Amino acid sequence: MKALIPFVAGALVALGGGWAGFPHAIYKSRPQPVDFSHKVHAEKAGAKCEDCHAFRGDGTFAGIPALDKCTGCHAAAMGTTVAEKNFIDQYVTPGREPQWAAYARQPENVFFSHITHVKLGQVKCESCHGSQGSTDQLPRYQEDRISGYSRDIWGTAGRPGMTMDSCVACHRQQKLEHSCLDCHK
Amino acid sequence: MSPKRYGMSIDVDRCNGCGACMVACAVENNIPPAHAGVNERKGTTWIRVYKVDNGEDYAGKRSAFVPVLCQHCGEHTPCASVCPQQAVDVDPRTGIVGQMPERCLGCRYCMAACPYHARYFNWFDPAWPAGMEKTLNPDVAPRMRGVVEKCNFCHGRWHAAKERAAAAGLDDIQPGDYIPACVEACPTGALRFGDLNDSATAVAQDAKRPESFRLLEKIGTDPKIYYRSRKDWVRQIASAPKNKESFHG
Amino acid sequence: MTTTRRGLLQFLGGSAVGALFTPAPWRLITDTALWSENWPGIPRPARGEARYKFTNCSLCDAGCAVRARCIGDQPVSLAGVGGGLCPFGLTAHHLPFHPARLKEGPVKEAAAAVTSAIANRGPTEHVAVLDLRPGRTASWMYRQAMASIPNGTYLAPPEPLVAVDLQKARTVLSLGAPLLDGWGTPSKVFAARDQFRLIQAEAVESRTAALADVWLPVAPGTEGALASAVTGEVDAADAARITGLSAEQVERLLNELKENGPALVVDSEMSPAVVDANVRLGGWGHTIGPRPQAPTPDAWNKAAPVADLDKVPNGSIRVLLIDESAAGAYLPWAPIEKKLAANALVVAVAPYDGGYARHAQYVLPAAIYPETMDDIPPAVDSMAATFRLAAPLVAAPAGMASVRELLGISDGLRERADAIHKVGQGLLVTYADGKSVAVKDLKADDFWKALNAGGAWTGDTKLPAERRRDEARRGREESLRHVDPEYPFTVVTERRVAGLCSPALSQIYQESNLRLAPNRIALHPSDASRCGVADGARALIETASGKREVIVTVDSSIRSGVVLAPGREDVAFTSAKVVRI
Repeated sequence: MKALIPFVAGALVALGGGWAGFPHAIYKSRPQPVDFSHKVHAEKAGAKCEDCHAFRGDGTFAGIPALDKCTGCHAAAMGTTVAEKNFIDQYVTPGREPQWAAYARQPENVFFSHITHVKLGQVKCESCHGSQGSTDQLPRYQEDRISGYSRDIWGTAGRPGMTMDSCVACHRQQKLEHSCLDCHK
Repeated sequence: MSPKRYGMSIDVDRCNGCGACMVACAVENNIPPAHAGVNERKGTTWIRVYKVDNGEDYAGKRSAFVPVLCQHCGEHTPCASVCPQQAVDVDPRTGIVGQMPERCLGCRYCMAACPYHARYFNWFDPAWPAGMEKTLNPDVAPRMRGVVEKCNFCHGRWHAAKERAAAAGLDDIQPGDYIPACVEACPTGALRFGDLNDSATAVAQDAKRPESFRLLEKIGTDPKIYYRSRKDWVRQIASAPKNKESFHG
Repeated sequence: MTTTRRGLLQFLGGSAVGALFTPAPWRLITDTALWSENWPGIPRPARGEARYKFTNCSLCDAGCAVRARCIGDQPVSLAGVGGGLCPFGLTAHHLPFHPARLKEGPVKEAAAAVTSAIANRGPTEHVAVLDLRPGRTASWMYRQAMASIPNGTYLAPPEPLVAVDLQKARTVLSLGAPLLDGWGTPSKVFAARDQFRLIQAEAVESRTAALADVWLPVAPGTEGALASAVTGEVDAADAARITGLSAEQVERLLNELKENGPALVVDSEMSPAVVDANVRLGGWGHTIGPRPQAPTPDAWNKAAPVADLDKVPNGSIRVLLIDESAAGAYLPWAPIEKKLAANALVVAVAPYDGGYARHAQYVLPAAIYPETMDDIPPAVDSMAATFRLAAPLVAAPAGMASVRELLGISDGLRERADAIHKVGQGLLVTYADGKSVAVKDLKADDFWKALNAGGAWTGDTKLPAERRRDEARRGREESLRHVDPEYPFTVVTERRVAGLCSPALSQIYQESNLRLAPNRIALHPSDASRCGVADGARALIETASGKREVIVTVDSSIRSGVVLAPGREDVAFTSAKVVRI
C-alpha cells in the first residue's frame, strides 16, 4: 500500500492542478472597455434586446452595437455614474469605437444566421445567451491563450455552449440536420 | 419546402472565352492571386474555361470555349464517396455538393476521383498584396494551404438569400434572388442558373433541348450542368474526345 | 521517506493518469486544432453592413454601369447593371492596392518647375498637353487651357469620327475588330447578337472569329482591301489576291452585304476606307453617323483643336504634361521626342511607371479608377450623345497629382452637366432604381446628384441626312508587304485595357492560359518549330521598338507568318523576328 503513495500523490496533484490550476493558466482575462449594465438599460430605458442588437433590412445581424447607437441617447451624460462618465470621456467625445470583446465569437468558417433562429425558429435570446441580457455587470471576459476564443463558448451553468456540438444537439432534436454548408461558409 | 436541384445551363456557342466567370468566382470566393511560378497545373480556378477545337489546322480550324466547374454530380457523387474525412456533403434539399475545407486533411483522394478535374488543392498559403485583403468578401471564409476546395455554387450568396427570405418571414428563397457570381458576371449570357426541378426556369427548359448534353454522361455521375451547342464537332468532342491535342488546357 | 527513482516514476505515472481525468490534455488538443485553423497569415475579411454604390467603369469607353457591393465604404465585389462586366472591370476594386501602383512623387517640386518653365519660356516655345484619353470633359478643359496661353498645343491619339448603330444591322463585316471580345459596349453587342450575321475578316482565329458566322482568314493588315472592294476602288479579284482569299469568297461577301442589308462594316479605328464602304452601302444616317457629343457650355468654344504633330516645329516643345491617368491608347514616343526642346520639361502623371515614365523628368502618381472623378467618352456604338460620370467609389490616397492641378484648371464636370441640363433634352437613367427620367423634368442640382450616384444621360438621336466630308486621316498602307527574310513575321495584336490590371487576373493568364498574358506571344506550330521553340519556351521578339523577352504559346489559330503579341499596338502590322533563348 505504501508503495502506491507516490502514485496516488501524483494523481492527486495532477487532478488538483488540472481542475483548479489549469483554468488560471490557460485563460487570460481582459476587461471590457466600458462598464456597461444590461439591467439598467433593460429596466430604466425599457430597451429590449433587438433595440440595440438589431437586424438590418436585408436580414443580417448588426451584432454588438456601434458607437452611434449609444450616442443616440448618450450624446451627453444621462446619469451620474462613474461608468457613464468614463464612457463619454473616452469614447463619445473623441468619437472612438469601443473595442468590445465578443463572448460568442465563432471561427471565420461558421455562418450563423440570427434572423433564421429568431424570426423563423422563434428561439429566444436567453436560450443561447443565457441571462447576459439582464445582468448588472458584464461577465468577465476570459480568453483562451492558445485558441483565442472566449471561455463562454464552452457553456456555463444556465446556458448551453456555442461549440458545434451544442448547435448540432439542438438541430438534431429539431430534426433540422440537412447539410454542413447550412452553417459553414 | 420542396427539394430543389440547382443546376446550370451553358451555351457553348455563346461563350467567347473572356474569362469573366473565372475572375468573378475568384473575387467572390476570396481566391488569392497566384504565386509566382504557378502554372496552369497548380492554379486554383474553381471555374475554368477550356479552349477546344475541331482538330484542323489554320483556315479550317474552329475553336470553342467550354467553362468547366464542379458538375455537382447527383448519383454516387465520386468525391463524396472517397473522402476519408466526410468533408464533402451532398445537400438533399438543394442538390449542391458542398466542400468543407475546414474538415479536409489534404489527401487529395477526391481530386483523383473527380472525373471533371474540378477540384483544386491549395499548394500555397494564400497571400494578397498589402492592403488588398480589405477587398475580401466576408460571406466566404479564406482557406489555408493544404486543403482542397471547389465550387459550392456560391454558397455565401445562398446564405444571404435565405437571410433576406427570413427577414420577409418566408421559409424559402425567392427564385432569382440567388445567382452565383459566374452567372451574374457572364457578359454574353452563356451561363444560366436555376432549379432544374422547376420546369418554369430557363435552366430546366434548356436541359430538355435537343442540343443539350452533359459531360461524360456515360459514366453515370448525373451532373447538373447542361451544355448545349449546335456545332456537331463540339458535341462530338464532348461525348468522345477525338484526340488529346484537341483539348487546350 | 527517501525519494527513490521508482517513487519518482510512480509519481509521474500517477500524475499522467490523474491528468487524463482533468480537462487539461483534452483542452490542449482541441486548442491546438483551433489554433491551427487561425494561421497567422490568413486574413479575416472585415464585417459590417453591406451597401450598394453605383458608378460607371472608366477603364474603357464602354463605360459599363457598375454596382459595387461595399462593406462599410470598401467595395468587395463589382457587378454590371443590365449586363456583365469584363475581367478588368470585375477586379477594378483591387487596383488601388496594386503593388506596382505609384504611391508618392515630387508633386510640389514638379508643380514649381512647370509654373516656372511656362512663365519663363521663349516666345516660340510651346507648352503641350498629351491627353491619352481624348473625348472626356477633361479633354475640353485641356483644350481651353491650351487655347488661352500663347503656343499652347493639345496632343491626343486620334478619335473615331463616326459612331455606328449595331442594333440596325442585319449583316456585319468586321475587319479585324474584336466585335465579340470587348468592342463597343459589350452588353449592347451581346443583347443584339441574334439579330445580325457576323463575318469576321482577320489573320488569326480570334475569339470573335471563332464565334462569328463566317471567318475569312486574310493576310495580316490586308483587311482594308475588302472595304475597298465594297466601295469599288478595287475589284473582287484584286481584293482576293491581296487578302489571300478566293475570288468566290470575296464575291459571296460582296453579294451578301448588298442583298442582306442593312449591312455595316467596322474595323478597330473606323478608318476612312471603312466609313466610305458604309456610305456606299447606304448606311449613312442609319447604321453609321457622325460621332455624337454631349452639349458643352458656350464659353468652351474657345478650345484648341487637336494639333497635328507633324505641323509642330521640331524641338519647340518646352513643357510637356502627359495625362496617363485614364490612358486608352498610347502614341509612339519617337515622333513626340523629335518635337521636344533640348531642355524640355516632361511631366507624366500616371498610376504606374510602365508607360511614358522612362521619358519623363517627373513622374507623379495619379489616382486610379475607382478613386477618380472623370467622365467617359462615348463608345463607338453609341449613335446618341452620352454623358456618364465615373464618380469615385473610394477616396484617393493623399499625395496624388493631376495635370489639371498643374495647369490650375477645374475638372469642368459640373459645368458640363449644367450645360446638358440647360439644353433640356434626353433621358437620365439611374442605376439604383432602374428608372428613366426626362432631363427637362429634373432640376439642375438633382440631375448632378443623380449622375454622381450612378446613372447615365443619353441624348435624343438626331441623324443627319448629309454626310460632311471629314478630313481624311492617314490610314494603313494596303499594298502587299515586302517580306524581309531577317524579320519574317508580321505582328498582329490583341487590344487589352491599358495600364495596371488586378493581380487576380492570374486566373485567366498564368493559372489557365485562357488569355494570352502580356509577356507571351503566340505562333503557329510550324513557325514555332522553325524557330526552335516549344510551347512554354522563352524567346526574344525583336521589332522596330526593340527586343523583348517573352514566353511562347503554340497555337494553330495563328496564321503562318504571323506572331500574335497582345497589347502591342505600337508595332502592329510591322515586321518582327522571334529567336529562341
